[in-house]
Parts: sequence; C-alpha cells; structure tokens
Amino acid sequence: MAPAEPNSSGGATQGQPPVKAPVNDPKKKDDKKDEDLSEEDLALKQQLELYVERAQDTDPGLQKVALESMRQEIRTATSSMTSVPKPLKFLRPHYGTLQAHYEKMSDSDLKKLLADILSVLALTMSPEGERESLKYRLLGSDGDIGSWGHEYVRNLAGEISQEYSKRQIEEAPIHDLMDLVVQIVAFHMKHNAEPEAVDLLMEVEDLDLLVEHVDSANYKRTCLYLTSSAKYLPGPDDMLVLDIAHSIYMKFEEYPRALQIALYLDNFQYVGELFQRCNDPFKRQQFCFILARHGVAFELSESIISDDVERNALQDIINNTRLSGGYLTLARDIEVMEPKSPEDIYKAHLIEGRGSGGGTVDSARQNLAATFVNAFVNAGFGQDKLMTVPAEASSGGSSSSWLFKNKEHGKSSAAASLGMIMLWDIDSGLAQLDKYFHSADTHVISGALLGVGIVNCNVQSDCDPALALLAEYVEKEDASIKIGAIMGLGLAYAGSQNEQIRSILMPLLLDGRSSVDVIAFAAIALGLVYVGSCNEDVAQNIVLALMERSEAELGDPLARFLPLGLGLLFLGKQESVEATAEVSKTFNEKIRKHCDMTLLSCAYAGTGNVLKVQHFLGQCAQHLEKGESYQGPAVLGIAMVSMAEELGLEMAIRSLEHLLQYGEQNIRRAVPLALGLLCISNPKVNVMDTLSRLSHDTDSEVAMAAMISLGLIGAGTNNARIAGMLRNLSSYYYKDASLLFCVRIAQGLVHLGKGLLTLSPYHSERSLLSPTALAGLVVILHACLDMKAIILGKYHYVLYFLVLAMQPRMLLTVDENLKPLSVPVRVGQAVDVVGQAGRPKTITGFQTHSTPVLLAAGDRAELATEKYIPLSPILEGFVILKENPDYKEES
Amino acid sequence: MGQGTPGGLNRQLPGDRKNDGDKKEKKFEPPAPPTRVGRKQRKQKGPDVAARIPTVTPLTKCKLRLLKLDRIKDYLLMEEEFVANQKRLKPQEEKTEEDRSKVDDLRGSPMSVGNLEELIDENHAIVSSSVGPEYYVGILSFVDKDQLEPGCAILMHNKVLSVVGLLQDDVDPMVSVMKVEKAPLESYADIGGLDAQIQEIKEAVELPLTHPELYEDIGIKPPKGVILYGEPGTGKTLLAKAVANSTSATFLRVVGSELIQKYLGDGPKLVRELFRVADDLSPSIVFIDEIDAVGTKRYDAHSGGEREIQRTMLELLNQLDGFDSRGDVKVILATNKIESLDPALLRPGRIDRKIEFPLPDIKTRRRIFQIHTSRMTLAEDVNLEEFVMTKDEFSGADIKAICTEAGLLALRERRMKVTHADFKKAKDKVMFKKKEGVPEGLYM
Repeated sequence: MAPAEPNSSGGATQGQPPVKAPVNDPKKKDDKKDEDLSEEDLALKQQLELYVERAQDTDPGLQKVALESMRQEIRTATSSMTSVPKPLKFLRPHYGTLQAHYEKMSDSDLKKLLADILSVLALTMSPEGERESLKYRLLGSDGDIGSWGHEYVRNLAGEISQEYSKRQIEEAPIHDLMDLVVQIVAFHMKHNAEPEAVDLLMEVEDLDLLVEHVDSANYKRTCLYLTSSAKYLPGPDDMLVLDIAHSIYMKFEEYPRALQIALYLDNFQYVGELFQRCNDPFKRQQFCFILARHGVAFELSESIISDDVERNALQDIINNTRLSGGYLTLARDIEVMEPKSPEDIYKAHLIEGRGSGGGTVDSARQNLAATFVNAFVNAGFGQDKLMTVPAEASSGGSSSSWLFKNKEHGKSSAAASLGMIMLWDIDSGLAQLDKYFHSADTHVISGALLGVGIVNCNVQSDCDPALALLAEYVEKEDASIKIGAIMGLGLAYAGSQNEQIRSILMPLLLDGRSSVDVIAFAAIALGLVYVGSCNEDVAQNIVLALMERSEAELGDPLARFLPLGLGLLFLGKQESVEATAEVSKTFNEKIRKHCDMTLLSCAYAGTGNVLKVQHFLGQCAQHLEKGESYQGPAVLGIAMVSMAEELGLEMAIRSLEHLLQYGEQNIRRAVPLALGLLCISNPKVNVMDTLSRLSHDTDSEVAMAAMISLGLIGAGTNNARIAGMLRNLSSYYYKDASLLFCVRIAQGLVHLGKGLLTLSPYHSERSLLSPTALAGLVVILHACLDMKAIILGKYHYVLYFLVLAMQPRMLLTVDENLKPLSVPVRVGQAVDVVGQAGRPKTITGFQTHSTPVLLAAGDRAELATEKYIPLSPILEGFVILKENPDYKEES
Repeated sequence: MGQGTPGGLNRQLPGDRKNDGDKKEKKFEPPAPPTRVGRKQRKQKGPDVAARIPTVTPLTKCKLRLLKLDRIKDYLLMEEEFVANQKRLKPQEEKTEEDRSKVDDLRGSPMSVGNLEELIDENHAIVSSSVGPEYYVGILSFVDKDQLEPGCAILMHNKVLSVVGLLQDDVDPMVSVMKVEKAPLESYADIGGLDAQIQEIKEAVELPLTHPELYEDIGIKPPKGVILYGEPGTGKTLLAKAVANSTSATFLRVVGSELIQKYLGDGPKLVRELFRVADDLSPSIVFIDEIDAVGTKRYDAHSGGEREIQRTMLELLNQLDGFDSRGDVKVILATNKIESLDPALLRPGRIDRKIEFPLPDIKTRRRIFQIHTSRMTLAEDVNLEEFVMTKDEFSGADIKAICTEAGLLALRERRMKVTHADFKKAKDKVMFKKKEGVPEGLYM
C-alpha cells in the first residue's frame, strides 16, 4: 500500500498521496508501512531513532556524538525536487521529543547544537506562522548558514520578513534579526541569488547593507534588478532603491549607468559629482553625449571641470552641436541623402483608380499638406525639392513660388518648413532663412521666426542667435509675427530655463491688450522653457493670466494652452503640483476641471502611478452635459501616466478599449490620440488594427484623430503596413479636404526624416524620459483634441512642436577623436533578462550590421567585435569606442 | 469591438452631418472600407488578443514579479470598476437586447448550415449548402468578416441563403473525445515500486507545468516529452493514468492506432488537430499509447496504406519539434517495442527522456502483491513470500493475473477465503500459459 510514501510525499506538487485501500486495523497499517521501506531506509530510520534516544542521554559525550552524527545525516542527504530528504522525514515524529528535551537542557554548546538541528527540522514541521525555524536559529550556534542548504535559507528569509513586520508593530528590537539578515544576504549574493537578497533587504528596509555585499561579478545583475523593481515600487521606496543602485554603480565605477540613474532621479548634483569623480576625458565626453540626448540644459561650471579647453569641448557636445553632423553621416551611410518630394511619399500610382488625381479639390489645403510632408520627410537633411532647390538651380524665384503657392497663414508654415529642413544646422539654416526676414508679408516673417526656433531646437549655440534674432520681434504689433517669435523662442530654448526668455515672455502674459492666441503661445513657450522646473514665478503669472481673462476668451479653442503651459512647468514632478492645483480650483467654472485634469496629467506623466490612472478613469466614467471638455485631457492623462513601463502601457491599451466602448463622443475622440502617445514610433500590430478601425469611424473627428495617431505610431519607421493603410485612406477620403489633410500629415510622419528619426521621448533602453520631447508631444496631442479649430484652422504650425521630440534613432560609433568609426554590431529585439540565471542573451533575432545603424523601437545593439570597448553600456546615439588593449587579431 | 463597424457607414450619425457640413452628405457616398477579407489570423482568436494580459517576465518567484503582477491586478480592478460604473450609469442591456432581437429578425429562422466556398468581395461570397448546388449570395453586415475564411461552416438565411453568421466551433469531434473528462481512479499510490520512474515523469511532465520557475532558475528548458517503454504489463499505461489522476492540466489520450484513418490525409490532419486543441487548452498533457502503431521505422513502403501511416508519423514528428513552438504541451508516449521506433521520433528535443519500465524486482513484486491482495480475504496459511521470492519472471500484470486466478479458484469451490493452495495453482497456470506464449490478455 502507499508505496509512493517514502519518496513522493511532501513534495512540491502534492501532499500525502491518498491511501486508497481500506485498512482493517491501524496496527496492520503500521506494520505495512515499515515493510514498505527498503532495507537501507529502515536502517537509516533505526539509526536516526537511536540518535534521538542518545541525544536525550545524560552523558554529554554521548549526546554530542549523537547530535553530530544526526547533523551529518541531515547535511549529506540529497533530495530531488519532488521530495523531502529522508532523514528529515524520519526525524519528523521525534520533533516533539527533541523539542521537549531541548527545553530541559542546560545551556551549553550541546544545547546550541540541538537548536541548530531543531531549526532545520522546523522547516518541515513548524506550523504555519509559528516561525520556529527562526526561533531556534536565533538560539543556535550561529554556524555557517549555507551548510544546511538553499531551501533552509529561503525559508529563514521568509520567516525573518514576517518576524520583522511583527516586531515593527511591537517596536521590539531587531538587531538579532539583522545579524541573521547579513549572513543570509552574504550567502545569497555568493550564490547568484541576487533577487532574493534584494527582496529580503527590501522587506527589512535596510538596502544599505547591499552595497557592502555586491562584488564585481554580481553588481550588474543586482542593479538591474533594483532599477527594474523601482518602476513598480510605490514612492518614496523607488527613490531609495535607485539611490542604492546609484551608489553601487559609483562604487564599481560604472559611470554611464550611474549617470542614467542620476538623470532619472533628476539629480544634477549627482551629475556634477560624476564629472568630478571620473577623470577619463573620453568618458566625460560620453557623459556629455548622454546628457545631450536627454535634452537637458546642463552647464558645466568651472568647479566641475577646471580646464577651459576641455570644458568648452564638452559643453559643445552637451549643446548638441554634433547632432547634425552625425545625422548626416548616418544618412550618407544609408544612402538616403536624395531629397524626396511629397509625391514620392503619397505613391499615388499604387492606388487603384480614382484618388490619384484627387489633389485638385482644395489646392491651398493640399499645398499646405505638401509643405508639411516635405518638411517632415526631409527634416534635417538640408535639401529638399520644394524649398531649397532654387538656391542650387539658381533659377531664382521658384522658391518663393512654392512659398506663395500657400495662402496667408499657410505661408508661415511654408517658411518655417525651411527651418525644419535645415534642422540642427544653425549656421546654414539661419543663412537660408535670412532672405525671408526682408519680406513684406507678415506671415512669411512669422514663419521665418518660427523657422529660426526650429533650427535651434535641441541645439544650443554660444552666441544665442535665436534670442538675438527673435527678441525684438516679440515686441511687434502684428499678432502673427508675435506668435512666430514666441513659438520660436519656446522651441529654441525648451528646457533651458533661460532667464532672458522669461523676462521677454512674461510681460506678454499679463498684457491685457494681447489676444488669447498670443497669451496661449506665450504660456506654452514658457512652459517649454521651464519644463519640469516647478518655477513659482512663471506659474504665478500663468495663473494670473488665466484669472484675468473673461469667460468668452476662455472659451476660445486656444485657451486650452494656458493650463497646458502651467502643466508643463510641473511635468513629471508629482506632488509639487498640488499648490498650483489648489489655486486652479478657484478658476472660472468653464475651465476649472479642464485645468485640473491637465495639471494632474502633466505632473504625473511618466510615473506609472496607478492611483492617478484610476482617478482619470473615474473622470471618464462620467457622462457629461454638453460643453464640458475636461475628459479629453483625462484620457490623454491615462496614456501619459501609464506610458512609464511596459506593463502599464499594455494594460492602458486594454482600458482604452473599454473607453471606446462606453465613452461619449468627446472621450472617443481622445482615445486614438492616447493610443498614439502610448505607442509612439512603435507600430504595434494590435494598436494599428484598432486605429485602422477607428479611421473609418462615422464621427469625422475620431477618424481624424485616428489617422494622426497612425502617423504618430509609425513616425519615422517607414512602416509599409501603415503606409499602405494611409494610401487606402487617402483614396477613401479623397473628396474630403480636412480628412485628406490629416492623412497626408500622417503619411509625412510615417516617413519622418526618411525613416531615420523617432518621436519616442524615451531613450537609453527605454529607461529615461526626455522632458522636452514629452512636452512637445503633449502640446500636439492637446492641439489635436480640437482638430478643427487648431490644426485645420489657422494654427496648423503647432505641428512643428513635434520637432522637440525628433531625434535620430541611430547608433553612431565614434573613435576617441569623435570621428565616425565603422564597426560590426548585432542589432536585435531586446530581451528582458532581469532576475535570470547565468548570462542570458540580451537580444534575440539579431542581424549583424556595421555602424552607423538604425535602431527600431525595442531594439538593442551590442558590439560584434572584441576590438573595441564601448564607453557606454547603452549602445544608442553617439557612443565612443576605445581600442581594447587585450585584443589580439585572430589569425 | 462592434464600434465603428464598417457597415455603419450608410446611416450617418447626425453629429457627422453637423461637423462636416452638407457637402459630404450630398456628393459623396463612401464605399465600404477595405477590410482584411479571407485572411484568417490563425492564432488570434477574435477579441481575445486585445484582452490578453501581458506576460510577466522574471519567472522566478521574487518581489519584482509580485510587484508586476500587482500592477496588472490594479489595472484589472480599475477596468472592472470602470465597466461596473458604466453599466450602472448607462444600462446597455435594453439596447443590446434590442439590437440582438433585430439581428435575430434579420437572420430569420430556421437557418440552414452551409459551407463557404469562396469570398468574392467584402459583401459577397459563393456558398454551398449540404444539398449540393452553389450560390452567389450576399454577406450581411453584422457578420464578422475577419473570421470568415474559405471552407468554414456558416449559417445561411433559409430563403435567400445570404450569410448570416458563422459556426465557431471547429474542433474536430474526433479530438474532443480524446479529452479525459473524468480522471481515472488509479493514483500514484496504486503503483508498486517504479519510484525512479515516477520521479522522472514528474520532473519531465508535471513540474514544468506547475513550477516553470524552477527550470528558469537553473537556466534550462524543461523536457518536452517522455517515452515509457518496457515489457508488456510493467505499468506504463498505469503510470500515465496516475499522471492523469493527479494533474489538473488537460489530459488528452490517444491510442496510436486511432491515428490511422481511412482516407488520405485524415491521419496527419487528426494529429494536427490534436496538438492544436492541446495548445488551445494548455497547459495540457498528450498521452499517445502504443506509439509503435504509427511510429515504426521508415522503409520503402509498397502500399498506400503504409505510406499514409508514415505520413502520419511525419506529421507527429513535426508537431513534436517542428517549426511552430508548442507552449505548455507535454507529450507522453508509451510502447513496448522501442527498438522498432523511428530514430527521428526519439531524438532529444522531441522526446527528451526515455523511461524504462523493467520487470519488477523482489521488493517491487512484494508491493504489487500487497496492492492486489489488499482487498482479498486471504486464509491464514497464505504465504506470499513464496511467490515473491520465486525465480520466475513476473510482470505486474502477471501478478495481477495470479491474484485474480487464485480468487476465481476459490470461488469455484465456494470458499470465502483464498488459500495458499489456490495461489500455487494459479501461479502454475499463469506461468504455464505464459510459456506457451499465449497473449496475457486472454486469461483475464
């Protein structure tokens, strides 16, 4: 009967196997059980029983021998995954006896020895919640903890965390526990079980211990675990965890990773320290490249780097002056320098039948669309087929001829598109734009001003040409010139927190004479310049501006930019927004809720805070009377908050599906935009399908939002499927100018920079969020909430805010003199390797290319050669390579 | 789904008119949008795809995993709250009820079942009914066109024969009977000995389904399947039954000979279907008994029947370790002629573990005797040790036969107890028959 008893009971999968056969009398059963055991087992059992008996003997010598041999038996026993080791099983019935005997014993080494054994036995015997194993461990001899095996240590760790929380409540001392914790952590760290060590320390809230125990073999895995846990921990624990990770990285001189965490924490003191600690000039350059990609203004002061020459060189890198050159290197390498015309993008010949000749319906609108498509597609290349051609062909006038194919405000966008084409190349960009400044047409001048801002976007120059050129135009009377200059300043100095800009723009806010659109753009520009800075002064002024305006003015579609500007000041700054949010409750009823939603969504953007998502969902659950508009920002808020990590992102996509099902029209209009933000430059098939479905929606605003979002999710990917969808849409909507305009914009976005650019605000393996990039995207999305009035109206140039998020999606390797260097790299889909044993592959399905290469969303690169050592572990953007001194050419 | 269905275009909403002005209304009747017709996405099962929960990566039990799972739970709770709120605020039952009755009206009744032959365009298809002729008919707008594919079973209107619905359940009934609904009574406790074998099968089949993290920890891929082989009557099938008894995974059992079908291509199709169902219902265990029926070595086959059997085996090879990866499907094969099996079937990667079932040794024999005699009333004089210690080779089934035979002998003489003499006679009888080479199955 029950033959499986000795081996399989108590295993992980099943408890005692049921004994099927009826048994006549219990005695017989006992006999049988004994019979079941094989001879060796029986011998072992008797042996152990003897030990137990001897252990209770009075003679200490005999006791000692018995206990030691008992220990020996337990230690040497091997077990399979499915069962309990035999000695433990046979000792189970004697647990009570030994316990009783222990109580009677006098203090001695023997008592401790027995305590050790009892502690191990308690592993299988102790009733749930009693934590006897821990109790006896503490009473025991403090021997090497690992000698009893892994399972024992694990069990102890679990009991410690329970005991700890209990003692916390009782406020009992915990030092004895902590001694044990130190032992266990040391054991885990030695045995490749970093996650368990970290977990235990998190439970007992003493992560500092970790720093002592990591070594060069396991610090990477430990830190990876810490950083990925931080995303899911509630505050302020996450900050604590990241701090620990930072100090570990500093300890092991893994500076680029430390910088990454410092940037995540938004802690510039750490960044400064980093520059001081690290003396390698090349590494410093690499840091500067990372800072430049993050898009923050960081001023290297003399206290950080004393050498003027080096400081200037580094500051140049931070100012992104190499961006244009690197981008063009990439373009030349991939051979896409040839300019493309909008027709090359539309690919009308692929559409069957009608629609191919449909461009005649509203030619001004079509030309405007072509302007944007041209600007997006040729962004940063410095040449195109509409705006710059004549300069080379010297036929004269035809440049203006394209410019003047646009009507009125269209000309602004056309002139500004030149800025987009010359993106990041300040010198030649300004030279090209110069001719428009002499135009008599205010729209052209306005566009030129905007163009200057675009050229300077994400790039700073020592002589501040943007400020010098634009400042005076802000004072001009004409509203369109004013707006051009304001927007230009906002783009050029986004994130710089430049005092001069503030003094120029602030008076506009409170100027009673300026119209709503001017204030709106001023608020946005200030929001961009001071993005995420929590600047009280600016906030105050925007609040005042909001209070002063009449109800009618607040009804203006552009009025939504005022709260948004306010929100951008607090982008990602969580609680800091609360004071301002309180003030916003006193606003005009019309805008109060809208303002509240916008502020919250901005403040918690990129945090993954579930409570806020819940709040926004709650707001969306209400069914509104007419005229309320705050649900749009709430829907966007869901996307902005949950885009922080992959899980939240996918779950948010699910939630948005429900919103589509139950929501009213104003919610449904925002859902495609939210999807667009969640998957920006990352064409996921399921989202693509949803958007494709929505792009045929009967509500034209939903359809338009879906089309723009199709453009956003495919931005810079050249995704053939989206391109095909959009082509079909263009023939489907060929008679409706507004819808067609949106399709065209989306087509332009899909081929953004001929597929070399990305709009994703996340970089460095999706760990860092560039605030200016996110700000730019949020502005666009808010503008799209009222598509008809803003983008299809006369403020279409807000589309240029996208330039803030535009970054080349490249890996460009350079040598120590910052000259491009071509090396083979493997590029493949990134794999999550957190908490995995051994050295798992970090990429899958890779291909080998030679740099510079393009990286798609979710891609990761690794060097395929040993000849060089990268100075940054994150192979994205600019990476400096150092020659490997140990490298030997393979013969 | 159901929002923004393409079919809704001809009834424009009032909001649409307001937004777009009259221009659109007058001039322009948009054609139906292009849908992906006729291409059925295999793996995606309708809205399930969108509803699928993201996978959580570190399989190890650690805090990060807990946190991630918590995060998913939070989101699901929020969804639940939201949907509950919506249901409360804006009851949709009536509306859906109304819609449903309307759809039912349109469908008409009775409906007839037909076969979709070909899709012509978005709205038309050629169908055939069971009686024979083919028709060119329309597809009603509420039919989910993404799921239509040539060859699928559809519902048709009784008069005009237009497509009004499709039949989803395309599981071969042959496969659905293979599913073990009622767990067998035999458990691990009913197996005498075979400790090592039980442990091996647990490690290879049960643990990967219940504790995948153990394998992840060590950094290996769990085995995909095992083959049980050994003399007849050594407990292969019994062990498989015990696995079915103890597992909560779906258990599909097939006998090799079932896979041989009358028509060409039916056998491989059945194998495919079997593994597809296993994948759908995963985690699952597929048990193929008497695999030698299809899995014999390949050689030049002369008859079409033999070739068909080989093709069935090739399909099996592909399913075991082919191009498509199977997730949580474990395979147990059983045979008593392992040497006749095709080597390709047994290579590691397809069948990773080969578990031999030897004839019972003395210890095991004793246990098997105990198991079988535990319910018999034995006379005092019965000394089982005599049979346990005998030199003759018994299999587990032989021992069972001896016990049964002894019981029958006692019955014949109308005794209430089985005596030692009965056992002796029974043993002689069994051994005699065995030596003559009569199949064991006869003496039951």
